[in-house]
Amino acid sequence: MQTKRTIFPNKLLPYALLAPQLAVTLIFFIWPAGQAVKSSFEREDPFGFRTTFIWFENYARLFSEPGYVNSLTKTAIFAISVTLLSMSLSLLLAVAVNRVIRTNRAYTTLLVWPYAVAPVVVGILWWFMFNPTIGIAPYLLRGLGISWNHRVDGTQAMILVVIAASWKQISYNFLFFVAGLQSVPQALNEAAAIDGAGPFKRFWTIVFPLLSPTTFFLLIVNINYAMFDTFGLIDATTNGGPNQATNILVYKVYADGFLGLNIGSSAAQSVVLMLIVIALTAIQFRYVERRVQY
Amino acid sequence: MATINLVDLKKNYGNVPAVKGINLQVADGELIVLVGPSGCGKSTLLRMVAGLETVTSGRIEIGGKDVVKAEPAERDIAMVFQNYALYPHMSVRGNLEYGLKNRGTPRGEIDRRVQEAADILEIGPLLDRKPRQLSGGQRQRVAMGRAIVREPAAFLFDEPLSNLDAKLRVQMRVEIRKLQRRLKTTSLYVTHDQLEAMTLADRLVVMNGGLVEQIGTPTEVYDRPATLFVAGFIGSPPMNLIEVSSVANKNSIGTLPAKTDIIGIRPDALFIAPQEGASISLKGSVELLEPIGGESHVHVRLDSSGQSVVLSIPGRPHLEEGADITLHARLADIHPYNSDTGRRTDSPVANL
Repeated sequence: MQTKRTIFPNKLLPYALLAPQLAVTLIFFIWPAGQAVKSSFEREDPFGFRTTFIWFENYARLFSEPGYVNSLTKTAIFAISVTLLSMSLSLLLAVAVNRVIRTNRAYTTLLVWPYAVAPVVVGILWWFMFNPTIGIAPYLLRGLGISWNHRVDGTQAMILVVIAASWKQISYNFLFFVAGLQSVPQALNEAAAIDGAGPFKRFWTIVFPLLSPTTFFLLIVNINYAMFDTFGLIDATTNGGPNQATNILVYKVYADGFLGLNIGSSAAQSVVLMLIVIALTAIQFRYVERRVQY
Repeated sequence: MATINLVDLKKNYGNVPAVKGINLQVADGELIVLVGPSGCGKSTLLRMVAGLETVTSGRIEIGGKDVVKAEPAERDIAMVFQNYALYPHMSVRGNLEYGLKNRGTPRGEIDRRVQEAADILEIGPLLDRKPRQLSGGQRQRVAMGRAIVREPAAFLFDEPLSNLDAKLRVQMRVEIRKLQRRLKTTSLYVTHDQLEAMTLADRLVVMNGGLVEQIGTPTEVYDRPATLFVAGFIGSPPMNLIEVSSVANKNSIGTLPAKTDIIGIRPDALFIAPQEGASISLKGSVELLEPIGGESHVHVRLDSSGQSVVLSIPGRPHLEEGADITLHARLADIHPYNSDTGRRTDSPVANL
């Protein structure tokens, strides 16, 4: 392909063109992040008149606080459950859609819709359906002999947020899995069929290994999503309750900082989160490209 | 080892017929080449035999058993695909073993067969490599190896050489022929390359528009093309098909069989010098001279119809482009056809 190369002699022009984006990044990302790091080393008096520099005391307190360790555990449970549930369901749907020939497009379009719904709306939707007083789900569950009240039962609350968060993420995973499945050559399936492998065996020995780059990529993306993108959803459904049962890290940052007004601790928590994001991103960049199996 | 029997085999895609009723008996150990232009149904036919396409009607018998409803795995066949279809995440050894493992072959037997196939195809040193680390020719060998290790009743080849460069293609063609002779496994081979078809086939099946045009040995098909289509398809440069009305010396036409309105003359059966015995002549002018090494192709535009014909002449004739020329052909070399039926008008070819 021939590309036309135009050379601008002006040395300032590139900087001028980059400036708006750089300004946005600096003002809305780098500067607040720097502020958070700074605040995490400080303690503010109750009236906001004076701040003292206290080195790592916020961090030390954080990790000795049972509430924070609890939040870490809940986050791990939440992230792993959401990732497994949404990925396995979306893979199942993708395989199913990939087998349908005529209505393939229609299904794909329908299955992508949930992705367009804002997290808060997703939260409210599921909150409504599972509302112990007026929701449809508790009514049906009662028929099965299950008494549903996620306002008092921590496990049920966790199940609710996991379902809600997974439901939204299924669309995204589905798209990637469908694309991944379509890139597996049909001839490989046929060759395996002739080689005596049934449909189930073909999937696990041929298709799934070839999907591994997609799967690995989605794994990272889903963990990221569950850990950092679900604030709105938690806020709309459970508010982190009951009794901290769904108080995941990203919600705790908000609850401690903006509701509890403990800015120092909240800042320290957000720095910890920042480090986790950096680590996950590093893994993604380092391995996603290389973990390609063939 | 097995025979393959196709009985009135048909395939429709919706309302579009792709294969319109094929009858074919493949003897044990025979190599049959299906040849035809794109869209003639040859690949569909092969895929039906493999079990990768459903059959609309008709029967497929492999080794005497009707397999129309059988899964591909149950048909005891092995297939070599056009793009090789090697499993990219497995080593060469893994690729060869896969089919045997799925069938629960004992470990010792697997190792023995893989080693044997690797020896035959000389891919021993490649066994631990991944397909992406192999060249096109090596991948081709591995694909064949995967078919051999299974020791199936029949091999199916779906244009296996079309992804190779010209030189390698010739080399692999010879190897496939030698291999098939050695293993004596019944084989169906699909190609659109007529040279490949001519050199490989025990018998040739020329297909067009979902139907068989002619079945026969390569020499039979070349010497006596049953239909106008076969006449134009087999041979390079193709046979010249000329309307009888363009012939200059009308008196010799009377000896042609009744209803002949098109005659076919191979480029090497046209001569510049007058021929002895019964012959015809055509007048025209030299349009183009193509020297291709040992022989030359002369394109001549006929005066009567404006049609262009090709003759191949040994050596390099001294002909001026644009010069008037008279071409001669012996009556014995002429293939007579009727344009309505598309068939030969002399004694019909039996296998239609």
